Amino acid sequence: MTGYVANRLAQGILVLFLISLVTFSLINFAPGGPSSLVSMESTAEQREARLRQYGLDQPAPVRYLRWLAGAVRGDLGDSINQGLPVERLLVQRMTVTLQLAGYAMLLTAVFGILFGVLGALHHNRWPDHIVSVVTTLGMSVPNFWLGIVAIIVFAVTLGWLPAAGNATLGGGFDLSDRLRHAVLPAGVLAFSLMPNVVRVTRSALLEVLASDFVRTARAKGLPQRGIVWKHTLRNALVPVISILGLITTVLLSGSVVIESVFGWPGLGRLAIDAASGRDYPVILGVTVMVGALTVIVNLVVDLLYAVADPRIRYG
Amino acid sequence: MAERSRLLRKILRQPLGIAAVCGILLLVLLMIFGPGLYPHEPNRTAPLATLQAPSAEHWLGTDELGRDVFARILAGGRVSLAVGLIAMLVGLTIGSVAGAAAGYYGGWIENLVMRLVDVFMAIPAFFLILVIVTSFGNHPLMIILTVGFSFWSQMARPVYAEFKKFRNAEFVEASQALGGGNLRVMARHIFPQVMPQAVVLATLGVGWAILSEAGLSYLGLGIQPPLSSWGNMLQNAQAYLWLNPMLAVYPGIFIAVTVLLFNLLGNALRDVLDPRG
Repeated sequence: MTGYVANRLAQGILVLFLISLVTFSLINFAPGGPSSLVSMESTAEQREARLRQYGLDQPAPVRYLRWLAGAVRGDLGDSINQGLPVERLLVQRMTVTLQLAGYAMLLTAVFGILFGVLGALHHNRWPDHIVSVVTTLGMSVPNFWLGIVAIIVFAVTLGWLPAAGNATLGGGFDLSDRLRHAVLPAGVLAFSLMPNVVRVTRSALLEVLASDFVRTARAKGLPQRGIVWKHTLRNALVPVISILGLITTVLLSGSVVIESVFGWPGLGRLAIDAASGRDYPVILGVTVMVGALTVIVNLVVDLLYAVADPRIRYG
Repeated sequence: MAERSRLLRKILRQPLGIAAVCGILLLVLLMIFGPGLYPHEPNRTAPLATLQAPSAEHWLGTDELGRDVFARILAGGRVSLAVGLIAMLVGLTIGSVAGAAAGYYGGWIENLVMRLVDVFMAIPAFFLILVIVTSFGNHPLMIILTVGFSFWSQMARPVYAEFKKFRNAEFVEASQALGGGNLRVMARHIFPQVMPQAVVLATLGVGWAILSEAGLSYLGLGIQPPLSSWGNMLQNAQAYLWLNPMLAVYPGIFIAVTVLLFNLLGNALRDVLDPRG
């Protein structure tokens, strides 16, 4: 078990190293690379000074090694546009993203599994058809457009909910205010991510419902509810955990576009601002951080398999 | 012959899939011939006729610069559909070649390609697109390549699995024994086995690519004005939500319907071609 975890972590570190290398190369060997940052400085001396300030007078491999040496000590460099250390920006934005991600994840998991069970139990009858219509819509409607429509309906027309931000400006911390701000973005995210959970739950459940031990349980006269929630769902859990893990990584990366629609100041927003402001240290930092989260979530998911299904063991 | 009629019967049992094909054809015809038949220019501004309601003259009204919204939707549709289709081909090609080589040859090629797949799977697709577009600029061609490139790893996985499975199959050995070269064996004998899965993935991939382009353009990082795309029309419209919310509704409906059609077609194809899926 410990050996397995250690092995996976080592692999994860290798993947992270490669992610940073790929991102760094993409950024640095591009025509509009970091050196274009200084093109607006007027005199040659000023340009020189700027280049030295960001360490851009060094060749790319040297710069990468310097960055790497800093990164292993938790120093990801300074943001060019904001002047703050990248790691501090990341932590600050991450907490904001986590609030939205947690809320959206809860909605996605609860409604996804519920609708999946509903579809499987009424296979090919009208509840199943309704579920499949809703999920197909969820997969096809662009989530950011749904966000805009939600703002039109609930904020502009009805005036029930705030249109943007994660808290009312100037107020202190107020839980109900925070939740009111999160309802629309979390709901929209859940609507667009839920179809994946529904599909996986439904098909896994259908497979297990057709198996012999379920027939035995029915023959023994066990009530339907016990069969579904205890015997069947537990056995259908592994693929469901796997899709929930995948969704977690999507949510943690800050659901880039939705944060932009709702002015939610999280990681996704940071990434877009960095991208349009050509803030290279931030872009690199965000990508590596999101990669790290993905690696960790994937490991946790694999370990959860063993919890859900005791037949799975890691040597 | 019996084989063919069985396939035909299976297809006829997918009314939604057939409807999706008709819808996609209709949409493509509209995008090809619409701009020629509809009397308005997508980029002609009219300062005296801004934010008009739909009328017989302007079918979907005009935007904040007095440009005809329906004309812009037609022009933007050409861009969005082209990005969707070509990006999918790019992703499919890179993914298939990489996955096939890794599965068929094994050894260091397999190690290298599959590690790269791990790396690209760990970077969320949208982040990868952001990084590439900021570095290499947002020329429309660059956007197409980037969106396509962002899902090569998802395409490579299933292709790799199938090629690995069939690498030592009897029909492969037979072909090799008859003197078939590696490329011939891969293209003529193994690839047809992967075909059904690849077609399904590709169809769903078109929808995904259209959504990615729309998201990117909505953020202002994709297709740039004055060239219109459904995504950047939405970006424009968000500033006028209070004045004229319908501006934000029309392009979204076109995106949603187009992606819906490709998803329905993909699901129907899965039922027909890929009994395990």
